[in-house]
Amino acid sequence: MAEITLVEAINQALAFEMQADPNVVVLGEDIAKNGGVFRATVGLLDKFGPERVRDTPLAESMIAGLSIGMASQGLKPVAEFQFMGFIYPALDQIINHASRMRHRTRGRLSCGVVFRTPFGAGIHAPEHHSESTEAIFAHIPGLRVVVPSSPARAYGLLLASIRNPDPVIFLEPSRLYRWAKQVVPNDGKALPLDKCFTLQVGMDITLVTWGAMVKETLAAANRLAKDGISCEIIDVATIKPLDIETILASVEKTGRCIIIHEAARTCGVGAEIAAQVAERGLMFLQAPIQRVTGYDTIVPYARLEKIYIPSENQIIETVNKVMEFA
Amino acid sequence: MKIFHLPDLGEGLAEAEIREWFVKEGDVVKVDQPLLSMETAKAVVEVPSPYAGRIGKLYGKNGDMIQTHAPLVEFESEDSSVKKDKGTVVGNLEESETVLDEGDVIVGIPQKTVASVKAMPAVRALAKQLQVDLTLVKATGPNGQITAEDVKKQAEQIAPISGKILPLRGVRHFMALAMTQSHQEVVPVTISDDADITDLPADTDFTVYMMQAMAAGVKAEPALNAWFDGKKMERMLHDEVNLGLAIDTEEGLFVPVVRNIGNKSSKELRAEINKFKSAAKDRSLTPQDFQGATITLSNFGVFSGQYATLIVVPPMVSILGCGKIREVVGVHQGSIGIRRIVPLSLSFDHRAITGGEATRFLAAVIHYLQKK
Amino acid sequence: MKIVAHFEIPYYQIVNEEGKITSDVPEFAKDPDHLIRLYRVMILNRLFDLKAIALTRTGKLGTYPSARGQEAVFAGMGDAIEKEDIFVPYYRDVGTLIQRGVKLKEILLYWGGDERGNAFECGGKDFPYSVPIGTQMLHAAGIATAFRIRGEKRAVLVTCGDGGTSQGDFYEAMNVAGVWKLPVVFVICNNQWAISVPRSQQTASQTLAQKAIAAGFSGEQVDGNDVIAVRERIFLALKNAREKNEPTLLEIVSYRHADHTTADDASRYEPKNQRELEWKNEPIARLYTYMTNLGMWSKEKDQALNEECAALVEQSVQDYASIPSVSPEVMFDYLYAVLPEAYKEQRDMLIKRGESAHG
Repeated sequence: MAEITLVEAINQALAFEMQADPNVVVLGEDIAKNGGVFRATVGLLDKFGPERVRDTPLAESMIAGLSIGMASQGLKPVAEFQFMGFIYPALDQIINHASRMRHRTRGRLSCGVVFRTPFGAGIHAPEHHSESTEAIFAHIPGLRVVVPSSPARAYGLLLASIRNPDPVIFLEPSRLYRWAKQVVPNDGKALPLDKCFTLQVGMDITLVTWGAMVKETLAAANRLAKDGISCEIIDVATIKPLDIETILASVEKTGRCIIIHEAARTCGVGAEIAAQVAERGLMFLQAPIQRVTGYDTIVPYARLEKIYIPSENQIIETVNKVMEFA
Repeated sequence: MKIFHLPDLGEGLAEAEIREWFVKEGDVVKVDQPLLSMETAKAVVEVPSPYAGRIGKLYGKNGDMIQTHAPLVEFESEDSSVKKDKGTVVGNLEESETVLDEGDVIVGIPQKTVASVKAMPAVRALAKQLQVDLTLVKATGPNGQITAEDVKKQAEQIAPISGKILPLRGVRHFMALAMTQSHQEVVPVTISDDADITDLPADTDFTVYMMQAMAAGVKAEPALNAWFDGKKMERMLHDEVNLGLAIDTEEGLFVPVVRNIGNKSSKELRAEINKFKSAAKDRSLTPQDFQGATITLSNFGVFSGQYATLIVVPPMVSILGCGKIREVVGVHQGSIGIRRIVPLSLSFDHRAITGGEATRFLAAVIHYLQKK
Repeated sequence: MKIVAHFEIPYYQIVNEEGKITSDVPEFAKDPDHLIRLYRVMILNRLFDLKAIALTRTGKLGTYPSARGQEAVFAGMGDAIEKEDIFVPYYRDVGTLIQRGVKLKEILLYWGGDERGNAFECGGKDFPYSVPIGTQMLHAAGIATAFRIRGEKRAVLVTCGDGGTSQGDFYEAMNVAGVWKLPVVFVICNNQWAISVPRSQQTASQTLAQKAIAAGFSGEQVDGNDVIAVRERIFLALKNAREKNEPTLLEIVSYRHADHTTADDASRYEPKNQRELEWKNEPIARLYTYMTNLGMWSKEKDQALNEECAALVEQSVQDYASIPSVSPEVMFDYLYAVLPEAYKEQRDMLIKRGESAHG
């Protein structure tokens, strides 16, 4: 079986579900004829035709609003926003409508959309193409926010998101798109939403992360293992709703917790996780909870990009600091 | 084979001059790699390669004029014919050969682990300060949490760890080291028995008498008067009995060596013992005084104690200990009476001594002690 | 039944693809020096573009959006705008920016991933590049509003692509400009492609110019390959805006003779021979022919000009390469007027980390 990249896994999941469910419709800018600027939707136009695979005019608010309208009638739109930096015009539609359609009609109408977008820095792109503002969506009741970090999870979580009857913001880490390959059987099996994934079992410290930072976290953990520090690595995957139980069970075992995210520090999702761990896990902690995050600045242009993204060394320094605490 | 024709360099001109080739036939090039610089009427332009692959043929040399749309470079076949899709619209995506093998990814909470100690950070800090082991503390807080009160209660129950810290110096230091070494190397066995010394005259110099009994034991069973090298697996049986005599002082345990006890008189032995005792008191013993013991006697029972498992100090293989002499109700020649007995404990290194050798030695010692 | 409204959309051209005059030549175009100035901007733009693309290919520049084939649009705009007007670009407007005083090395800095590229040493209040499509139209409306509030006789020139005309911000900006009578000239650089989406799939409207009608003002189409027409129509529109507070929409029709950016691959979606067919309308050759026929220009003069512009481009690359690197804590230095206490620690941490960035 061939190994595929994360973006190919997205493509595989979309093709599978479009085949299995005629209600699935894919739309966005440059997604049909061009197959998407990252080729996430390549081949779908040929397979499923222009009614279900639509190049839209250039308007993000329209893409969101249209999807909401389509979903209300039972279709399952999977809309692409070309980059997270361009999703902001759609916030009105997402926050004022997608998130609360079911709520305000007491279930009579609902909004089973998936809004997918590449996010995060690290591909040396011009400004506005490197956003990590998942915290905005994580704050909105009624939404789900899902972030895959591997081809297998991209496939399984996207299937789950499409099948889920509520709106999902599906954030794809662009710098992982082609970084590594993995065997991903095209068996249509979804992975569970609302659950964390423990990627590595360890005894000394719990590292909580998601998205592209999983890469640096794994690399840091390998280096720390050589110094005898055993890290447990949790990929949150579903940022909202948060599976705090898995994180707490891990902290109970290790007594130490670091949250790692690329997004800016203040009010990042790490703050929510830290608050919940402090509320319910304080009695297990042997050291204060730490966060390794992007700086509280606008994501810099390409020249300073590498400095902005938290590094392996920063993670290692923070782990060592925590391990030395009392 | 794929031919790259000179594209319209955009000036609307019909031809351009080859200024300089950056590649030669046989080179392998990547997509976009500059192939050559060309001069048009208007500018010097670098021409990037549209393909990846090996250069088969260059259609011209430096200085030649090439017509627009005429052949410029021939690429050898293989994958060079496919223009590589960069697969993005901005920036560049890192690609690698990495294949992810994630092993077992656990969804949600892994199997229930051992229940941990539940205590707030402030309580943990208190426990550390009071030197209380949290795993031993009974929790009375909500959900099995240990409270500060619980820690304090535990601290009161433990004997206060107060008192002066005394680093080991001198003799005590060496004792600790020697005992550790013994524990690590020796395989100790202890055999205990009693000697009936009821008939021994009351004014007997008991220590000297014991030494002589040991000399007799060695004569009967020389194996106990030996040195053993556990690494080389060798025993050295000694002819002379150099007895280490354990002397207890305020400073600690001293074991000076009384040499060749088999050939000394009681008087001589007693004189040496006294010499060592006073030298021990005023710390005038020399290193030589401690060297060369082949067997040891410990009269440990002066204050209390009957039988003991004594420490065999390598390279020696045995040590005899006397406990407190006491009166017991015993049987002697068929009738019950009050007997005076001295309890004896022979500890030996079973790597070098057998049970038979040890018991024979002890029997000889007892026989000597009990003789009329 | 009666017709209550109808509209007309004019199309303007002065010199056609063969270099022949098709309508009255404006005064300025009778001045050879003026034409040569326009021509020079186009040559510089074209050579700079080629160099930028080459720099991208060799990793010295990030992604770059070429304006190849559209040089007349930007040369004409930059020539028509007055110094005291404000220019609000989208991202292909090199030809206009250099006429506003932005240096070539700064343009390289921006696409090379350095914020100093937006700092514009020449000063002024022109806007920087706009990447979120169409958002700049509203900014232009806001600037024009400031002019009205202060009673200043100044205009705003704003550009976007054909794709941008589908954005809500585009309509909102035009609507308010119409109803508040704002001195804005909206220019659509219609190069027929929005990445892979052709103009026909962007809207069912017959022209993009007629979207102005819905906003209550006039729209026109201009041949974007005719720099004389472009310059003239924009000049007049700006004059109208300044003097009468009347907004205008100009749809400048040209063609994108390049991939959307250096990272795009138009061969995936562009019909095979379309570029070749369109190239015959190409603006530089057109003006070259026009000027040569009138005896204003020659092959020798052309060669000399090209050499001069090539040298300028070379110099800009050297200037760009020799710009000193930045210290990373600069990330914090322009976040607020004064950096709040709350973030000083992070800034210090950056300094301590002691890494520096170099292109």
